[in-house]
Amino acid sequence: MYKGFRSESFTAWAFMAPGLLFLAVFTFWPIIYGIPLSLTDYSVITETNYVGLENFTRAFQDHNFLISLWNSLVYVLIVPVIQIISILMAILVNSRIPGVKMFRAAYYIPVVTSMVAVALIWSWLLGNNGVVNYLLLKAGIISEQVSWLSTSSTALYVLMFITMWKGLGYYMMLYLAGLQGIPADLYEAARVDGAGPLRLIVHVTLPLLRPHILFCTLISVMGAIRVFDEVYILTKGGPGTSTLTSSVYIFQKGLEQFNFGYASALGLIVSVMVGALSVLVFRLNRKGGVNSY
Amino acid sequence: MPRSLRVLITYLLLILLALFMMGPFLWLLSVSLMPGRNVFANPPAILPTFIAFDNYVQVWNFMNFPRYILNTVIITLLGVVFNIILSCLTAYPLAAFRFKGRNLVFTLLISTMIIPSATAMIVHYLTIQAFQLGNTFFGVVLPAAVSVFNIFLMRQTFLGIPADIRDSGKMDGASELRIFIQLVMPLVKPGIAVIGLLEVMAFWNNFLWPIVVLEDPEKYPLAAALTYLNGQFSYNFGWIAAGTMISVLPIILVFLFTQKYYMEGIAGAIKG
Repeated sequence: MYKGFRSESFTAWAFMAPGLLFLAVFTFWPIIYGIPLSLTDYSVITETNYVGLENFTRAFQDHNFLISLWNSLVYVLIVPVIQIISILMAILVNSRIPGVKMFRAAYYIPVVTSMVAVALIWSWLLGNNGVVNYLLLKAGIISEQVSWLSTSSTALYVLMFITMWKGLGYYMMLYLAGLQGIPADLYEAARVDGAGPLRLIVHVTLPLLRPHILFCTLISVMGAIRVFDEVYILTKGGPGTSTLTSSVYIFQKGLEQFNFGYASALGLIVSVMVGALSVLVFRLNRKGGVNSY
Repeated sequence: MPRSLRVLITYLLLILLALFMMGPFLWLLSVSLMPGRNVFANPPAILPTFIAFDNYVQVWNFMNFPRYILNTVIITLLGVVFNIILSCLTAYPLAAFRFKGRNLVFTLLISTMIIPSATAMIVHYLTIQAFQLGNTFFGVVLPAAVSVFNIFLMRQTFLGIPADIRDSGKMDGASELRIFIQLVMPLVKPGIAVIGLLEVMAFWNNFLWPIVVLEDPEKYPLAAALTYLNGQFSYNFGWIAAGTMISVLPIILVFLFTQKYYMEGIAGAIKG
């Protein structure tokens, strides 16, 4: 029997209550609580005082924090590279030839393995006497061994490479889903009009992939700014501060040195930056930064 | 270009790319199977010249692997069960009910995707301590017990179920909860499988939060134990290589056997 709108509302909220409770504690609360926390000098050791905006003024004079912000911005350089390579990979694995599904799965394996394992493997491959140096020396690309992860001029780029390598399969699958949604007759029509493979990609594929490009760009920008695991496992921000990214610095301040107040202030600044970058990506995409129809 | 040549070039590119993506794992496998060989030998050991399982046996005995595997399985199971139950319960009304505050819930959920929290882990730490859940598996699992992403994914699945099913259940006088459990849930198994798989991988691979919450290394899951092992015995490459293989293989196998659902889920998520 139909019991009416009010009873339906009650049932709905009853269903959602447990999930919303968890979200309230572990998703909404961290966003809200970060703000008052950032206005205090809360740490485990000393008494907590309200310090106003002191944490924020301190942040912008904190040399290491500014470096970490810069490194995080440099990290965002992987975003366009990831999109280009993973779109090309998606086009490649979209070919209708026997065995292609096996290759798709193979490219996806780095995505499902833990960053700990991936980071360890690459740290050995990139070691002084590792496979990478061996191959590059053989090919004549470098003339002597490079300590990729302990040289300040290369470490950050090497980490960026590892992040990219692990993520390519994921973006490839998202783009593949986009490609498979493009009707085949569109290609047919363009081919009839005399378009070559390159023009097909530029004039048919890319414009139709636009929503996917927007989505993938957004999540990879956020991923790049928040990068933590690979940096923490491999370099902990070093050598010096050459790979210190904002998440690593916030983690050090917060959960290693227990300066919760200061770390929350840093976190708020980074959150605002991520929000601003997301808006920027949206704007660029709407204005046809990639390709317009 | 003739078709056969095009196919040949495609295969060539596919194989080169496969070497790039799989090569590191194959190299690790080969190092782990050659006890006593130096990883940094020149030329590097890319293909195994002999095969022995000493590294596996030794690291298995040394590291108390059954313990770490049990920890990982418990954490993963708890995480998966919480995520499935909570996201189904929360998503169902959002897909099937008309109720007061529906738009409010939507706005709240979407806002969490726009407003990121760079310090969530710090607040989670304080919360878990306040609940006295430090050093427990629940402390590891609860902060990730439900996610907005999963709720939207399940909502998308529930939207695909015809409304008549709920109506016919009501005609028979079944309660909403019974309709949900007996009529609706069996129809969304594919969605549940996707969430299950995504969360199995997320919890299996998680290393940082467990290290933060668990004071006792005996309670570490595999990924965390691996960083611990690497910190203590970084000179024994063979062991760490074998340990890494042991931690990675289960998840690769799970993926290979379920990739159809998994890939569909990933592709579906972008629409949801």
